[in-house]
Amino acid sequence: MNEAHEITRILFEGFSNWSIYLFYVIGYTAIGIFIYGVYVQIRKYRRGKPDASWGEFFARFKDMSKTMATHRTLKRRDKSAGRAHALIFFGFVLLFIGTATITLEYDILEPIFGITFWYGDFYLWFSLILDLAGVGLIGGLLYMMYRRKWLKLPKLDYARPDREPGDPDYDRSGYRREDWAFLWALILIGFTGFLLEAARLIWLSDTATVWDYRWWSPIGALMAHVMAGLGMGAEAAGNFRTGLWWFHGVLALAFVALIPYTKVKHIFTASASLMFRDPMAGKRLPSVPEDQEDIGIKTITDLTWKQLLHLDSCTKCGRCHEACPATAVGAPLSPRDVILSLREFANKSLQSKELPEQAELDVHGKDVGQVFMETLWSCRTCMACVEICPVAIEHVPIIVQMRRKLVDEGNMEPILQKTMQSIHKNGNSMNESKRKRPRWTKELPFTIKDARKEPVDVMWFVGDYASFDPRNQVVTRSFAKLMKQAGVDFGLLYEAEMNAGNDVRRVGEEGLYEFLANANISTLEKCDFNSIVTTDPHSFNTIRNEYPDFGGEFEIQHYTTLLKQLFEQGKLKLNKKLDYRVTFHDPCHLGRYNKGYDAPRELIKLLGCELIEMDRNRDNSFCCGAGGGRIWIPDPVGIEKPSENRMREAAEIEELDVFIVSCPKDLTMFEDALKTAGYEGKFVVKELIELVNECVEFDESEVIDADVVSA
Amino acid sequence: MKILVAVKEVAALDEDFEIRDDQLDVDEDFLLYDLNEWDDFSLEEAMVIKESSDTEVEVVVVSVGPERVDDVLRKCLAKGADRAIRVWDDAMEGSDSVTIGRILSAVVEKEKPDMVFAGVQSSDDAAGSTGISLAASLNWPHAAVVAGLEYKPGSNKAKITRELEGGLSQEVEIDCPSVLTIQLGINTPRYASLRGIKQAAAKPVDEISLSDLGLSDSDVGVDAALSRVRRMYIPEKGMASMIEGTPSEQAAKLAEIIREFKGE
Repeated sequence: MNEAHEITRILFEGFSNWSIYLFYVIGYTAIGIFIYGVYVQIRKYRRGKPDASWGEFFARFKDMSKTMATHRTLKRRDKSAGRAHALIFFGFVLLFIGTATITLEYDILEPIFGITFWYGDFYLWFSLILDLAGVGLIGGLLYMMYRRKWLKLPKLDYARPDREPGDPDYDRSGYRREDWAFLWALILIGFTGFLLEAARLIWLSDTATVWDYRWWSPIGALMAHVMAGLGMGAEAAGNFRTGLWWFHGVLALAFVALIPYTKVKHIFTASASLMFRDPMAGKRLPSVPEDQEDIGIKTITDLTWKQLLHLDSCTKCGRCHEACPATAVGAPLSPRDVILSLREFANKSLQSKELPEQAELDVHGKDVGQVFMETLWSCRTCMACVEICPVAIEHVPIIVQMRRKLVDEGNMEPILQKTMQSIHKNGNSMNESKRKRPRWTKELPFTIKDARKEPVDVMWFVGDYASFDPRNQVVTRSFAKLMKQAGVDFGLLYEAEMNAGNDVRRVGEEGLYEFLANANISTLEKCDFNSIVTTDPHSFNTIRNEYPDFGGEFEIQHYTTLLKQLFEQGKLKLNKKLDYRVTFHDPCHLGRYNKGYDAPRELIKLLGCELIEMDRNRDNSFCCGAGGGRIWIPDPVGIEKPSENRMREAAEIEELDVFIVSCPKDLTMFEDALKTAGYEGKFVVKELIELVNECVEFDESEVIDADVVSA
Repeated sequence: MKILVAVKEVAALDEDFEIRDDQLDVDEDFLLYDLNEWDDFSLEEAMVIKESSDTEVEVVVVSVGPERVDDVLRKCLAKGADRAIRVWDDAMEGSDSVTIGRILSAVVEKEKPDMVFAGVQSSDDAAGSTGISLAASLNWPHAAVVAGLEYKPGSNKAKITRELEGGLSQEVEIDCPSVLTIQLGINTPRYASLRGIKQAAAKPVDEISLSDLGLSDSDVGVDAALSRVRRMYIPEKGMASMIEGTPSEQAAKLAEIIREFKGE
């Protein structure tokens, strides 16, 4: 048995003093280059606007650590890539900890305090764990190479939908080269590490304290046996080791030095991005202080440091590119490319010592590196990109803030201008008189309370489409009857209700949004009620998440949760069940925005329907294309609309009877798309309220007959 | 260099409006006010000249009307006008377009602009004469229905394209200063964001009274008007009706209607 102290690896064994010095010179140079790079990056971020995300530091840190430890966000919708990344990540982390441990003993504890611990059992376990870490690292990297080379994933194609082939920034081939350089560099570092281990074992095969314990480094030992079997002697191994040692060492140090200059920086930026994630991103857009003159993002320095940091965390995984409804239908927008464009812009202009002239910082325009107006207007603010981004990039707030500038400068479709003007004038987006808003109530067999005049329990905020659109009015009346039947004490704002402003805000017309929000809040505050209900997920989102910023704190629910409660409390009863085969479309503003995935599904099951999910459901629901003000801008003719794309997906369900929606805009969009996509007669689009209405037992018989549209 | 843009706050009808008891106008409760559509284009034309000019160009908007007119003037300020003037005196109530032209001419004499733009017409009264009577009062050259303009600030001539009937265009050279009435579609008016309008609320609107212009009560108002509204009404419609049925039924019905008209 050997002395525990002797079982270790002697660092720099057989090295002359000058070569050790040389190594340290290279090492410190690498660290110097690294630190300078970090400094340049931090200087870049500090050129952005302030952001208040430093609060709750420890809670944020905990959340980030949890996300990284579980790799939760990386495994979503791409398990294999997530697992491979976990192998690389944990392999890298362990190998880093290993190197740091050796440094701790060799360069700090031993020279200063004479403390050593890297020997004996500790050393052996250390060797074993690091060997396995190395296997994980290389395994993960090999899968990533396979995936890039052979899987031909569309999301890894960097060609841009917002540029034409031939444009200088069209295919971003530089990124592809960087990806491969990154993979090769890491795999070479890992592989030469094992080779080095094997060479050392052969070189010291006469030393019992090394050779006898070789199986604690199983991969190294295995390779040593193979290499020895191929005829490598101790002396040859020693020489081989010296050359290889320098190659491995210099490559590893170069890798470290280049971290802040290459995509490798994501190991820091992505972690920080996760840490500064805003759970309300996009759901609650940032307000503009009253006294602030400028609005929106015009120049790259209008981004906050946090947004600049987000840009740097993108690893081009393509999950947003894959999820975006605009990208899917060939619109000139990919969320990934907006982020990368801005990143490249920031790197070009904000990394130099002196900040360039203001005019050179404008991110809007038609030049290389600038973001096109058409790109920004293609966004439907459906939040699919923010939802899936594994590193918590918040695309939608950036896009909306850029649009604020476009709106401020009047760079928008004339038809959208008209709509905004009409909303300002009439309080609704349908260019209808204010007086017409409550007209849908006239055909009801009862009168709904005017909540402005008498107290009610539930305030019903109807919303524009549900109030004015004839098809939606049928649904709106059905909901009124359901609430009446359930004995809910409810009322309306009648003519005083205005467009809630959710989509106006997402267009980027912040001033008009402030006007609408303030008007609705002041009207609501004058009324006496306990909570609000709405059938419109858009109104639901802004009243729930954004009105509080303007002083409007209201309890609000979407009708799906209210109906569910009414059934649970026995206030609504079914008199029959439906045997339809149905699918359900999650509205963006109910689902992704507010996580209301379950209530509608529970209702559907309660009705007895057979629910078949589409591939893209819940958090991956595919936007109908109406969000972000796009309902007011006609989609280009001749190419598939997002709503038609969705109909195509639904049509894959065999013998589908009903495509269920729970949003007025969805009803409008999908009923239209059902026809234009050519599926009319195959299945129907219905509001969930209509199905509930079919099955509920009403006291008065005349109510049952009214407004029932048969499937 | 200064361009004066005359604008009007027009009224649009709400659903289910009612005529005032005196039958001279629509009940004000049913009116929605906004900037006249044509004026969006004439202001934009002035703004385009201002923005493409090397020399300083001041764009002044002027309107005749009561306090509520400040809203549309602020909208013009939000779109970039430098100054706004509102002329009003209760005595002006009931002025016709020729009188308004005369009032505006007094403003022009005070402001001394190098160019005056107005809309071809207003969408509510549609007299189409304010701009032209303004030119007449000033004895300035004028051109109506201008659909294209080439004008360099400071030059004494402008080249304009006028829109004629039947798809014809007429290219005209006009001496400046002159009064141009601008047609829809000459440019793409910019959008005034709500925030811009709000910020423009801080900008002052100069109020000018009759006496500031050297006019007296007798120069304006209903009494000075050369034309007066006698009655405003909704013409009866639906006089035509389809007679259905077999030819003999139709003939019988027709005979009945004729008898009814004859009062038999």
